[in-house]
Amino acid sequence: MNYTGLSKLFSVFRIIKESGGLRASLYKLYRMDELKVGTLMGTDKYGNKYFENNRFFYGRNRWVEYAPYYRLEYDGSQVPAEWFGWLHYKTDFTPDNDPGRPKYKWMLDHTENLSGTPQQYVPYSTTTQKIDAWKPPCPK
Amino acid sequence: MISLKNIARLWQKGLVRNLQTSSALQHDALFVHRDTAEDNPDIKFEFSPENLKRVDAILAIYPEGHKRAAMIPLLDLAQRQYGWLPLSAMHKVAEILDLPRMRVYEVATFYTMFIRKPIGKYHLQVCTTTPCWLRGSDDILSTIKNHLKINVGDTTCDKLFSLSEVECLGACVNAPMVQINDDYYEDLTCDDMIEILDELKDGKRPRAGPRNGRYASEPLGQPTSLTSEPPGPGFGIRSDL
Amino acid sequence: MLRTAAQRALNGAFVSPKQLGVLVTRGAGDAKKPAQIEVFIDDKPVLVDPGTTVLQAAALVGVEIPRFCYHERLAVAGNCRMCLVEVEKSPKPVAACAMPVMKGWRIKTDSEMTKKAREGVMEFLLVNHPLDCPICDQGGECDLQDQSMAFGSDRSRFTDIDFSGKRAVEDKDIGPLIKTIMTRCIHCTRCIRFASEVAGIDDLGTTGRGADMQVGTYVEKFFLSELSGNVIDLCPVGALTSKPYAFTARPWEIRRTDSIDVLDAVGSNIVVCTRTGEVLRILPRTNEEVNEEWLSDKSRFAYDGLKRQRLVSPMVKVDGQLQPVDWETALIAIGKKIKSAGSDIGVIAGGMADAEALVALKDLINKLGSEDVCTENPFPVNGSGTDLRSSYLLNNTIASAEEADVVLLVGTNIRLEAPLLNARIRKGYVHNETEIGVIGPQVDLRYDYTHVGDDPCSIKDLENGNDTFAKCLKNAKKPLIIVGQDALNRPDGSGVLLAAQSLAALIQKNVQDPQWKVLNILHKVAGQVAALDVGYVPGYEKLKDNSKLKVIYLLGADEAIERSQFPSDCFIIYQGHHGDCGAAIADAVLPGAAYTEKQATYVNTEGRAQQTLVAVSPPGLAREDWKIIRALSEFVGQRLPYDNLDQIRCRLEEIAPHLTRYGNVESANYFSQALALALKESATVNKKPISVTQKSLEDFYMTDVISRASATMAKCVTAYKTQQCSKY
Repeated sequence: MNYTGLSKLFSVFRIIKESGGLRASLYKLYRMDELKVGTLMGTDKYGNKYFENNRFFYGRNRWVEYAPYYRLEYDGSQVPAEWFGWLHYKTDFTPDNDPGRPKYKWMLDHTENLSGTPQQYVPYSTTTQKIDAWKPPCPK
Repeated sequence: MISLKNIARLWQKGLVRNLQTSSALQHDALFVHRDTAEDNPDIKFEFSPENLKRVDAILAIYPEGHKRAAMIPLLDLAQRQYGWLPLSAMHKVAEILDLPRMRVYEVATFYTMFIRKPIGKYHLQVCTTTPCWLRGSDDILSTIKNHLKINVGDTTCDKLFSLSEVECLGACVNAPMVQINDDYYEDLTCDDMIEILDELKDGKRPRAGPRNGRYASEPLGQPTSLTSEPPGPGFGIRSDL
Repeated sequence: MLRTAAQRALNGAFVSPKQLGVLVTRGAGDAKKPAQIEVFIDDKPVLVDPGTTVLQAAALVGVEIPRFCYHERLAVAGNCRMCLVEVEKSPKPVAACAMPVMKGWRIKTDSEMTKKAREGVMEFLLVNHPLDCPICDQGGECDLQDQSMAFGSDRSRFTDIDFSGKRAVEDKDIGPLIKTIMTRCIHCTRCIRFASEVAGIDDLGTTGRGADMQVGTYVEKFFLSELSGNVIDLCPVGALTSKPYAFTARPWEIRRTDSIDVLDAVGSNIVVCTRTGEVLRILPRTNEEVNEEWLSDKSRFAYDGLKRQRLVSPMVKVDGQLQPVDWETALIAIGKKIKSAGSDIGVIAGGMADAEALVALKDLINKLGSEDVCTENPFPVNGSGTDLRSSYLLNNTIASAEEADVVLLVGTNIRLEAPLLNARIRKGYVHNETEIGVIGPQVDLRYDYTHVGDDPCSIKDLENGNDTFAKCLKNAKKPLIIVGQDALNRPDGSGVLLAAQSLAALIQKNVQDPQWKVLNILHKVAGQVAALDVGYVPGYEKLKDNSKLKVIYLLGADEAIERSQFPSDCFIIYQGHHGDCGAAIADAVLPGAAYTEKQATYVNTEGRAQQTLVAVSPPGLAREDWKIIRALSEFVGQRLPYDNLDQIRCRLEEIAPHLTRYGNVESANYFSQALALALKESATVNKKPISVTQKSLEDFYMTDVISRASATMAKCVTAYKTQQCSKY
């Protein structure tokens, strides 16, 4: 079969099947520009799923599928810090299997990078305004 | 090690700069007005009836349109009446001459003989310029200081005497001399000075002029030059002419 | 020639050489002109009139002699000695500013003696001048700096071996506009001469003598005059500097834009100094025909009002409260209202509206089928009304006011309404024996005048009367009648105008000069003449009565406008640059540009079209006024046919060609026709005394939206009140 190339065709079908059908596969391809299947290593609290498939070479064998509600608006900063290490090969332990990982009450929730959104941080100006605008009087 | 003693020694030698806050080279009079209890615009100043006549006489000297020339005589009149020249007197003069007040302030501050702060009844002006100084004006000055217990620029507590040191008053031949109000007292010794001051204190008016027996500025005793008969015509001319 | 009254005797004793020149040439009209004399400046021969000073003769051949105390518009003082030059065969150098040339003089402005004299004078000046240039506001535009570089020595012999300090003089507090650092004063006395001769306020003088001389007021007193800011420009050193501008910028950092002042109707030429999009100060620009080189304090110092109370974004009323919105939303909302109103729309144009905006708005409203375009400031419309320009212009021009021999002021406090015109009249009064009569309240004009009467009937009395002033007026060769707005804004305003017209017609017969026009109207606001020129109706009485009105468009109309004057359901649009009365009652606000932010045409009270230039960009979303109207026209569905400044200027030219002839006075001449038309309607005057709105200096400072928003002007008012309580 390998010689006929049919195995590749079968693996395509398998990938489509594992991805949840033709329609889902097309959507995934559209959204992520690639169609990969692998072992689900875990899911973070925001719904991002982390996969590993060692069939791919090092550097491509770990990836994240962002939670569906991000649609096309996903970016790297949505990966929380605890998964960051695993994703970038700093460790082979996934966060839920990492015995040495500290967990304190005071640890803040992860936030994505808010630059370019209305919630972004803007340093306030310490200089006085050049123009003092008129404020309309309140109606009585 | 720099100790205070070292600094003090340096200071004595003049090697350390004195701390200076403002210019020392200043006139003793102030050229801006400051309201005081004695001198403020609320103090009333009016010319007395006889002085009003004098005002008219002074104004009559000057032609129409040039009445402002009467400013100095009028200010002098006001000063003679009041003893010194308060701000209200300047305002009065400005009013009489129909001038802006600033023009009167300018004149009154320019002339040193307009005195713009309270002064004693007798203004002792001791000349200390070279001829008087050579003839002992320093002694006269220290006599006044000791006798009245005031310093230059001060007024006695009874508001009778004020002491000033002035430059040449033009009576060098009768040095040393002191001007008291309008009178010149000349050829003074320390005893003369005390006598004059005491007489003034008693309300008398001492005799003005030289105190050493001279009438005016003639030589004391006999003439010291031109003592012989004047030579007649032809004196010193060649006999053959 | 000079008035010899005592007030002016100090400096009156000297005639400024410039004046002398004017007087000489004027007097020489009929007499034979004296022969010119030849002198040599650095061996260059030049022919001059007798009486010319060495300094002026040198200027004729392009040789500039350094000076501090000499100023061509002030009397000669000759006390700085900087202008010393060598004259051949004279043992000592002579002061060029005060010395008239003699025949055949050979003047050497570049000789060893001259150089040495200059160096010596410079050295003495610098011995008594602090070396605080780094912290001095005059740095960079200081005559002393410049001249010590050019003419001074490169080293100093001033070694203060006793460390006794330099001359030091205490600073004076002369008001909220002028900062004094009197130690820097070099005693040129320019400020004193200006105060005494031009401003007519004899509050400055020198006190003391010799090294202790100081310039000041002697007593604690503010130097309050409507022209006081000019002493800042006059001061050759940093002794008098601008208080609001203190420590703001250096002259080389500043961007300068030539412009026009709009805070009064004189149209003074100004330079707007800006840096980083901010107006830092306003300086006068020399224009002999308008403001010479002076500027009134309001025009000079009210610029901080341009930064306060500004309208920075369009606003529309939501739930009874004005809310900032973007342009599109605002224009759609306003466009809808205007469309539904149809022709029931009226316009009130305020005093600072420029000609472009006036024309654009009038075109738009006319396209909508309405003719209700009014100005905020009324003017009598009976008789010829505003059809003949001669009825509403200062026909005889500002510059020639100083040549008048008799001036009659009717219902105007000219000193506060047009300070620079008053300075001209005062100049004539001081140097030219001008007689001045006043009808109206007896206000302080800083010169003596005959008070003819309180009410307008006095104009008629003058026509028929035979008292001294009436005779004087009738025999005058160059008489002027200047009628103010306060006399014309009365119910009997047209009667006052008619009376003035007929009196002027009577006097005009004696005038030989064909160019001389007796009747002059003085306006208070900068935009009024242009508005009348393009056909606005003065006064908005007819809008008040119109109950059908659905939309009112206020173009910068801010003076005493009230909501209750209009129907309650009418939609009020305010377009302007400041939030004041107008914006407060508006249902929609469109932010326009102030005069420093647009290139716009203004016509001053004499009918001279001048244009402002863009010095800074309008703040926030604000835009140039005519562009707003142009944009709005699209939303109304009546597109205006001009897209850029050139095109709208062409439209201006179509309506009134003089509007784009910048710098020129377009004179008007139909006096007799105007009078004939006015006589057709019998307008009478009543006996009520004329009152003026600006009575004392206190009322001068805050008269319009810009000066009302200015903190500096508010300080001036406070200073005036403080001064009134003072004993001096």
